[in-house]
Amino acid sequence: MTIEPGLFLQPKSADEALHMLFANEDAKLISGGATLVAMMNAGVSEPTTLISLAAIPEMNGISSETDGTIRIGATTRHRETAGSPLLKGGLFVVRSAASQIANATVRNMGTIGGSISFADPGLDYPPALVAADASVEIASIRGRRRISAREFFTDWYTVALEPGEMVVSVYLPGHWLTGHGFYIKHARVSGDYATVSVALCRQEDGAVSVAVGGCGPKPIANSAANAELTASLDDAAIKRASDILRDQSDPLDDVRGTASYRRSLITGLLRRAVRQAEKSVGSES
Amino acid sequence: MSVELLINGKAFNVDAGIGDTLLSVLREKLDFKSAKRGCNQGVCGACTVSVDGWPMRGCLSLAVGCAGKDIRTLEGLSATRRMQFLQEAFVNFGAFQCGFCTPGMLVAADALLARELNPSHEDVKVAMSGNLCRCTGYLPIVAAVRNAAERIRKEAARG
Repeated sequence: MTIEPGLFLQPKSADEALHMLFANEDAKLISGGATLVAMMNAGVSEPTTLISLAAIPEMNGISSETDGTIRIGATTRHRETAGSPLLKGGLFVVRSAASQIANATVRNMGTIGGSISFADPGLDYPPALVAADASVEIASIRGRRRISAREFFTDWYTVALEPGEMVVSVYLPGHWLTGHGFYIKHARVSGDYATVSVALCRQEDGAVSVAVGGCGPKPIANSAANAELTASLDDAAIKRASDILRDQSDPLDDVRGTASYRRSLITGLLRRAVRQAEKSVGSES
Repeated sequence: MSVELLINGKAFNVDAGIGDTLLSVLREKLDFKSAKRGCNQGVCGACTVSVDGWPMRGCLSLAVGCAGKDIRTLEGLSATRRMQFLQEAFVNFGAFQCGFCTPGMLVAADALLARELNPSHEDVKVAMSGNLCRCTGYLPIVAAVRNAAERIRKEAARG
């Protein structure tokens, strides 16, 4: 589809992009294009102004901060995240999620900022970021703020971005650099959105954090479920934790599965994630 | 707006709207027909082209965002020794039937062999997981890619 004439703006800094966004309230931000261009092709989105974030160095790449926090720039492509040696220990959960997004070609294009801003409930990053206690840095011309991934995802395809705001980066806490992290995905075929997925991080001392994707408007996490799995990894504890998570779930019936099928997947996927974590104890992930 | 695209080493000036994809510009304005329009949603891989050395979706790339990038289509890649080996192997292994997916398959395979000349079966599967084929059942394609890699290695060893 051709949308004429259209403006394609290519800022060189995040601040320049934010001023462009402020001046063009109907503008859409674009980086990899993996989602937005598909929506434009389908006629679902018809932007007249695009602001490309592709040439903003400060928004790209993965780095380690002095306090051990790992920063992933919003325009970092899935391929780079899937291969980053900085994402180790419990943070491997994010690397694992990135490596299971769509397929190799799409991972060359799509970015973490675009993915989480779209917030499809079947996406791979949201549960991984929630399990890993990630925070999201959001910017507008008024300044920057940082909120937890838990608060960032608010509803179906809805995140805590206000008009004029954009995601600048994702921060992963250094306390997960040890331990183990796993992302277990159940999908109809390789490369599809998750029907249901489970992200799990486990510390060397046994502390566990889990999140479930695909089972409601946003990732499901619950401190009581984490406490159950921190206390024990036996089948009874897995059952109690998954019961808690299932009670909190609110899945849809759709082409990827019925709501009841989705609920029934939680226990099995959680058990697989836990068993993988047990196997890894004492070994490097 | 006017955009300069570098395709197969040659510069082309085209007029493109912001919604025009690289795929539509290649096919409809510049007559490069190797990349195919299948799903136009980034799922099937028939539109795969190489951008700065990586396989990308032509249908999910905006033409206006591709200025200055090194775009290679099968028309250009066919001149390389590596692609000739791949094409011969696809013929020898019956790695296509209708042929609609083949240009995308070849571009994805070429990008893999550019980085890994001894790919495992799994390596090929992962690298080409974004290319759907409804004829072959995939096994001949994986075998063809690994055979091309082997013949390239042998030729390199002979010097």
